[in-house]
Amino acid sequence: MPLNRADFTSRRGGALGIYLMTAASRPSAVERDLRLDFFRGLALFCIFIDHLPNNIMAEFTLQSVMFSDAAEVFIMISGYTAGMVYGRILEHRGFVSAGLRIYYRVWQLYVSHVFLFMIYMATVAYTTGAVNNALYAEEFGAASFLDEPGVALVNALLLQFQPLFMDILPLYIVLLGVLPLVLVGFRFSASVMLIASFALWLMVQFDSRFALPTYPGPDSVWRFNPLAWQALFLLGAWFGSRSIHGGVSWGRRGWLFWFALGIALAGFLIRFNWTLHAWYDPIPVAIGGKLLWPLLSKTDLGVLRLLNVLAVALLVAWLIRPQARFLSSAAAWPFLICGRNSLYIFCLGILLSVLGHLVLNEFFGGTVMQVAVSTAGVAIMIAVAALLEWSGAAQDASGGSAVGASTASGGAR
Amino acid sequence: MIPIAMRCFMVAAVIGTIFVPPRAWAERDCSVPERFYTSQPPLKKTPQAVAAGRRVVIVVLGGASSMGRAAGSLELAWPARFGSRLAERFPSARAEVVNLAVARQTAKQAAERIERDVLPLKPTLVIWETGTMEAVRGLDVDDFRGTVQAGIDKLRATGAEVVLMNMQFSRAADAMIHFEPYLTALRELSDANDVPLFRRYGMMRHWAETDALDLRAEDGEKRQQVARKLYDCIGRAMADLVTHRQEPAKPADGAR
Repeated sequence: MPLNRADFTSRRGGALGIYLMTAASRPSAVERDLRLDFFRGLALFCIFIDHLPNNIMAEFTLQSVMFSDAAEVFIMISGYTAGMVYGRILEHRGFVSAGLRIYYRVWQLYVSHVFLFMIYMATVAYTTGAVNNALYAEEFGAASFLDEPGVALVNALLLQFQPLFMDILPLYIVLLGVLPLVLVGFRFSASVMLIASFALWLMVQFDSRFALPTYPGPDSVWRFNPLAWQALFLLGAWFGSRSIHGGVSWGRRGWLFWFALGIALAGFLIRFNWTLHAWYDPIPVAIGGKLLWPLLSKTDLGVLRLLNVLAVALLVAWLIRPQARFLSSAAAWPFLICGRNSLYIFCLGILLSVLGHLVLNEFFGGTVMQVAVSTAGVAIMIAVAALLEWSGAAQDASGGSAVGASTASGGAR
Repeated sequence: MIPIAMRCFMVAAVIGTIFVPPRAWAERDCSVPERFYTSQPPLKKTPQAVAAGRRVVIVVLGGASSMGRAAGSLELAWPARFGSRLAERFPSARAEVVNLAVARQTAKQAAERIERDVLPLKPTLVIWETGTMEAVRGLDVDDFRGTVQAGIDKLRATGAEVVLMNMQFSRAADAMIHFEPYLTALRELSDANDVPLFRRYGMMRHWAETDALDLRAEDGEKRQQVARKLYDCIGRAMADLVTHRQEPAKPADGAR
């Protein structure tokens, strides 16, 4: 397995290893934190599988055992790696350099978003005749972008049109867009930044007017409210930027471990009970229903979702070492390479979701087909990631011009 | 030892039976598997009142797909077909189905009509078909769930029973619109309130899958036929759901 990039960063001497919330007990460590790659890879597979319609496999992803789902994991780890990589650049090369790097990244994400939008519009153009069928015309014709593709296009370019699965990239773009200011803010006063971020999240929880409007309106909103989701991203970015200097000292307190374990366990028991209920109806729901709805909003990153993902992250950071042997095993390899090339694999996953949608709705075919499409999609993601790794490794070996590119992409790919 | 050619053939045969859609058995009956009902909490008041021949008002609060335009008239829309099915099954029934569907209304707009239009009719049962506009326009799913919850509470406070109905299924729309969050919200509402959910989306998917209905018919004439059959199927399935486990006073012919 190629580890060139990690070797490379260590040779430059500017970079320390990545430690999620661990004490400064191992200052000489230089290895890459494989856990970040692994869990981001896992999240990417889950996002793809959850996006397929009527998919039995979606019962076996993160969302069936915890309140949060793959989106939280993805945003948190993205925040962490961004905070770490760009925080390091900020320290060594200054604000302008870090800002440029970040905005280069934002540009890449934006281009991906536009690309996905083109694919979406192509699908729409292909299927729009079928929607004009009298059975649906009145209902689905209300999708105003069919009548005014020009307006829809402009809105998509402004991140204001987020159809189907085009909702998480705009969130990521906005979050990364404010990161330069956040990182500078961390240097002045991390506590002020984090308290402000938390306060904003809290306001969203209590007042539904804290939402961003979208096209076509009226009352259309961002499915992932950036005003709420920034809390998770910023927290991740803060831990990431702290990791450069060995992480945070309180990360290893015993009571914190038990607290996190309690939350994760409660989340598992309650959520898994719902999963079982969905599988087999006579199994009663012990805790649930209306009581928990306000705490489980996906749009507003409800408190249970936030707590659950943080608790699990803490447990993972505690229980699994960055270089755990299991992470170097052959079984972990597909996750690692996908996590390492997350931007490309994420976009590919969205594309595959759209295609999988078409295949499953065209041919149906029940459970066998769902499993087949899920497996095929994951296999394609792994294959493409392997190709990217291979070509990246080839470039690194040739040295020279690959140097700049590989630091820029660092862990944040 | 089985010869390789033979083995290849066997594998191909197995794959064939799994993947080849059963196009050949077109135009089948649109009955619905038990799984669409078994998990639904049964209604009590309405089926008893229907069977006993008491006066029953059933209000349908819905959107364009409850108005029957695709079939040609309001009499061919599913609410009317549902009324006829009830009358067939329970000859002594005095059930009146009032169709209050309005095209392109959000759940919020429909909820505002509950007080004004629905309650004065003193309904025994309200069938609320909703979620389409929210999905099409990408409205806040939490707000949607809250609105429908408040509507259910208001209806139940008057003693009315409630059935929820989710969206229509279409392959094309499914490739354009993210229905999943809203389908989930309706399932959660049904679960939390012990209110039956008429799973129209799943049923239409099932009919498309088994080729019971050609939902993509292109020819205008054929489309109208499909719409009529679809609304008839939905009406019948709704009668099944509403009168689930309720024995008719005497078995009526042609109920199934």
